[in-house]
Amino acid sequence: MTNQELEEGLARAVAQAAPRDLEGILSRCQEQNGKVIPMTKTKTAHPARWRALVAACLALALVGGGAGVFYQNANAVTSVVSIDVNPSIELRVNKDEKVLSCTPLNEEAHIVLSEMNDGKDLEGAKLTVAVNAIVGALVRHGYLDGLSNAILVSVEDKDQQRALRMEEELRSSISEILEAQAPNATLLSQTLTQEAGERIHPISSGKAALVNQIMELSGSTDDDTFDKLSALTVEELSDLLTTRETRVPIGCAAAALRAEEYAGTLSLDSATTEVDPELDKKPAYYEVELHTAFGEFEYKVDAFTGEILSGPANVVTMTQQTFTPAPETSATPITTAPPAVASPLALIGEDTAWKTACGNAGCGVGDVQFAACKLDYEAGRPECYELEFCWNGNQYEYEIDCYTGAILKHEYEYCDETAHGHHGGTGTTTPSVNVTSQVLSGEDAAWKAACAHVGCKVGDVQFAACKLDYEDGRPECYELEFCWNGNQYEYEVDCYTGTILKHEYERCDEVHHGHHALSGGTSNSSELIGEDAAWSAVCNYVGCAWGDLSYSACELDYEDGVPHCYELEFCWNGNQYEYEIDCYSGEVLSQEWETCHNGLHGCGGGRHRGRGHHWNG
Amino acid sequence: MAMSSLPAKMKQTVRPGQWELDRLLLAVGAGDREAFGEVYERTRAAVYATVLGVLGDHHEAQDVTQDTFVRIWEASPGYRSQGSPMAWVLTIARRLALMSLRQGARQGELTPGEWEAIPGGEGPSEEALILRETLGTLEGEERQIILLHALSGLKHREIASLMTLPLSTVLSKYSRGLKKLKKRLEGEEKQ
Repeated sequence: MTNQELEEGLARAVAQAAPRDLEGILSRCQEQNGKVIPMTKTKTAHPARWRALVAACLALALVGGGAGVFYQNANAVTSVVSIDVNPSIELRVNKDEKVLSCTPLNEEAHIVLSEMNDGKDLEGAKLTVAVNAIVGALVRHGYLDGLSNAILVSVEDKDQQRALRMEEELRSSISEILEAQAPNATLLSQTLTQEAGERIHPISSGKAALVNQIMELSGSTDDDTFDKLSALTVEELSDLLTTRETRVPIGCAAAALRAEEYAGTLSLDSATTEVDPELDKKPAYYEVELHTAFGEFEYKVDAFTGEILSGPANVVTMTQQTFTPAPETSATPITTAPPAVASPLALIGEDTAWKTACGNAGCGVGDVQFAACKLDYEAGRPECYELEFCWNGNQYEYEIDCYTGAILKHEYEYCDETAHGHHGGTGTTTPSVNVTSQVLSGEDAAWKAACAHVGCKVGDVQFAACKLDYEDGRPECYELEFCWNGNQYEYEVDCYTGTILKHEYERCDEVHHGHHALSGGTSNSSELIGEDAAWSAVCNYVGCAWGDLSYSACELDYEDGVPHCYELEFCWNGNQYEYEIDCYSGEVLSQEWETCHNGLHGCGGGRHRGRGHHWNG
Repeated sequence: MAMSSLPAKMKQTVRPGQWELDRLLLAVGAGDREAFGEVYERTRAAVYATVLGVLGDHHEAQDVTQDTFVRIWEASPGYRSQGSPMAWVLTIARRLALMSLRQGARQGELTPGEWEAIPGGEGPSEEALILRETLGTLEGEERQIILLHALSGLKHREIASLMTLPLSTVLSKYSRGLKKLKKRLEGEEKQ
């Protein structure tokens, strides 16, 4: 059976086995929304709260630690990837999908990237690693697990195939993070098939594309509308596009302001708001949750007029009539009312809470990493500051009474022993987690380890390939493949320690290639003759001119990873020929031909096979 | 100014033989369901082969094949004529298959009953035997490469690009896989 017959048989079997359910698919196909591709909205119950932190730590540690080894020669930008929620971040990427630059495009993005040296730590990192780190940081800063939660990922590249592949890879990777840590978040993605040039707007190209699509709906072209739309979050823009709304909404900040004005809490320092745009509702509105020391209140604000649609007015006056602070008590957890300290409503503030927690942990406030602090409420009343941070290889969680500064609860988790080798204290017993700050040893070190094991020099190997393999999202080992001295080797090398985890090899075809067996690059006869020389050899052999051939094709064939011969196919003089030409010597190794009675596709003649023998057709 | 508008130079050449698929995908991008049906007919087997190559399991591959076409429908407004429309389609198929694999899609040999449930999988026909041996004998990447080459019409270098593997790896795995397959089939014939 020839290769072609084998493939044809396989094709027939697969075609028969392939499902046929066009109706079923069409029933799942919704209306398409412009060029923005709505992605799956995943919902998973109870994401582990530490996961975001762990993922970010892990990604950051990898990125930060491994940055030095990622630098390559290629500095040309081939793709631009932008990530927009409300923070907008732009990544410029080279052809190897390594990050050349990471730029925060607005103030919120600076805050998100602050712990990554304003994005500079991500330079040199693999794109997916960098994006994972950013998404982890976005989750941790509350941009994706709150009420407003849509993330847009845009890939800009003139090579559509590459853009689509990158988009799919990023979607896959981000989906996993969101599923675990932000199940309510919606992931939107798009590819922009255009040259990855300089940005012409202060916002990302991805967000600009989204804004432009909305402007196209209304036929608007003025800069003012562009600026107003640019200030909206991705969730708001996505809703506008979905509903084909042409008016410009007031925005989350204005909605929160309107609610606070109406509630009479503008003068209070302790009031905070969370805003959820509901622009896909009729009528469109912003839902504003107002958190005060008096309780939690909800408002609906018209998305376009700013009119209050529902919610209580003047809550301060209203609640002062009914709220009586409890008498001064010891620093115990609040159950029914806040304790009276200097002022019954005075919070100690985040700075004091940090000092308390760090003092207890034995570190300075400036020493901690991956820090997060939020005010927790109980029955609509502030109860405590919840602080999370990493220090000295441990992860800490503290709950600090927001009025007295008393430590209500604290615990920590050991980090991976192998990664840090130090942990201590008497925190509550919890399962160990992997927070690794290990540095990748790098491809060079992996090559050295493998070659030393084989007994050759790095420069001597041929047909070399190396890739970093991941296990559960964490780099595990370098996989190396190469040929040396007539053998094909496969190695797995621990990417942190350089330890060889697995190795195997097999002999290459020595019979045929005895004259050019790979021998540490010392053989001069191992150079390929090239396709032109192969064609020339065949034409001389057959006695035809290259220009007379039709339907010609040439492919280099490999045996056990080593180039073996050129396979040439062509038609000439009513016959279809297949030749194998030694790719080093130009010798004719085999030939097949079929007589074409009815043109190329009507081959039905005899088959002749020869070796080193010229058949004169 | 529309950021997403396509520069004229992006209207690049499409490989002969794929013009029609290119035209159809552009029509699908404009919401043409009839064109979508035509794309389905033309690419169904290649998409299934791609997914089957990754997953090695008929039932999972059926589901992911369906998901792939839904995703093609969603993504098609962003499709631009640029080289190989088949590669564009199969990129989606492959990514969804890999995602499914990561999410714990089962992999393993089918039971005789499951084989018989596959159209064309039953009986001792030569095609059924080839398919069975392809899935049962070849290791992952060999299987993917051979299925892609047999069904998609992609060239080795396009397969290398799709699978992000060096061309030399694709060529050697293709060659090695075919040899293994032939050896197995010859063995079957002798028995």
